[in-house]
Amino acid sequence: MINTFAQIDQYASAGHTAWHRASALSKLLFTLVTIGVAVFTPSWGPLLVFLGVAVLLALTARLPLKLVALAATAPLFFAALWLLSRWNGRLDEVAVTALRPVVASVVALWLVGTTPYPDLFAPISRLLPRVVGDSLFLTYRAVFVLLQRLERLWRALFLRGALGGSLRRRGERMGEAVGTVVLHGFERSQRLYQVMHLRGHSGRICGCRHWRDLRAEDIWVVAAFAAVVASRILLGEVGRP
Amino acid sequence: MSHLHIPDGVLPPLVWIAGLLLALAGVLVSAAFTRGAGPQRIAFQSALGGLMLAVMAIPVPITAFDYCMTLAGPVGILLGPASTFQVSFVVTVILALMGQGGFTVIGLNTLVLGLGAMSARPVYGVLARRMKRPHAVALSTAFSQLLSSALWIAVLAASVKLSPATAADEEVHHTLRWLQGGALVALLAPLLLVAVAVESLLALGLAHFLDRVRPDLLPGGASGASGAAVPGEAPEARS
Repeated sequence: MINTFAQIDQYASAGHTAWHRASALSKLLFTLVTIGVAVFTPSWGPLLVFLGVAVLLALTARLPLKLVALAATAPLFFAALWLLSRWNGRLDEVAVTALRPVVASVVALWLVGTTPYPDLFAPISRLLPRVVGDSLFLTYRAVFVLLQRLERLWRALFLRGALGGSLRRRGERMGEAVGTVVLHGFERSQRLYQVMHLRGHSGRICGCRHWRDLRAEDIWVVAAFAAVVASRILLGEVGRP
Repeated sequence: MSHLHIPDGVLPPLVWIAGLLLALAGVLVSAAFTRGAGPQRIAFQSALGGLMLAVMAIPVPITAFDYCMTLAGPVGILLGPASTFQVSFVVTVILALMGQGGFTVIGLNTLVLGLGAMSARPVYGVLARRMKRPHAVALSTAFSQLLSSALWIAVLAASVKLSPATAADEEVHHTLRWLQGGALVALLAPLLLVAVAVESLLALGLAHFLDRVRPDLLPGGASGASGAAVPGEAPEARS
């Protein structure tokens, strides 16, 4: 999962498409509105158009098809569980319940795949209390370092035969291994604290300041928004269960 | 089950809107409790949040199936309830951006993960007076996992109840009766018990390690009876 996210992070930072140049604020608003409209749309007609728009956005942002397919299928497990509990043999209801999370997931992939995390977190952190906003930035920074350490540790344990033995022994060994990473996290937090002091931390991590700078490329985001709203209005009743 | 994230557009709006409002209220209340938290405290809680995300990403080859931990229990014990809720919120937001759980259900996913994790510290506080601290950590973790699972099931049950009646309502009720009749319990209960046992064993190993190497990090540790030795921590974390 994190490897996938590291890949998405790379695309967000290194991409050069029009979507990458559009402002974080317009992309975030488009994503939230599209997801909001999708979850309240009761018919599969407009949802199919939303999915088409979302896939087009992701592919024109040069995100790999494999990644788009992964995002589209990830939420289907829970949707399938839900459908199983409410199964009544109506395929239009199945289509609506399955399409909503798929649309949301692909649009979210497009957002995170075209927006570097300081731009993405800056508007979100402004709406949150200081502790939580700062925590959002620092957690994201910490996760890749800790994951790398954890993966190395797992490999070492495997090579030294520590993953054999009874369930209890294996569980405890794994726990001890995680304990070393907890300690590393604690020591890392002390170093980070010193770094923040040295850099003149003023009580809030602000992220970058150009997340709200509108650019010419935002017109494409507006066009995508218009496509979503128009299809919702024009195809509202197509495929309603 | 605390790690099985709900996607967008499946649950009825009443349930996820209520979840969002409750989670936001929880974030604001927890922020009030941790207002005095210094940068080091924020850095430590972020490191543990990052660790939660990292262990969720790596399957642990501990049974015939790979299992993804949450570390919710140990993190709850190390940080205290208010910071733990904030960590759960941040972890859920980042997971939603990863496509693991939806944006509209960030509130519900935070409540399921966060309330379970928050319960670990008070339970640990009671148990640590009666038994060795690593065992108290393991049992508190088991409790937090069971609470998260119960909340997850409650969310599903409320959603089924609040969903608009479908065209073949009688068939739905029949399915529900069949599920309530034992099929769901027979399928999920053993998986749940294995997950709780694995998470508790990992917590036991982690607590044994910390108790040996840095006992001051565990509440009631060597540095003082009052709590974890994280400078700048909020008073609530020392309860």
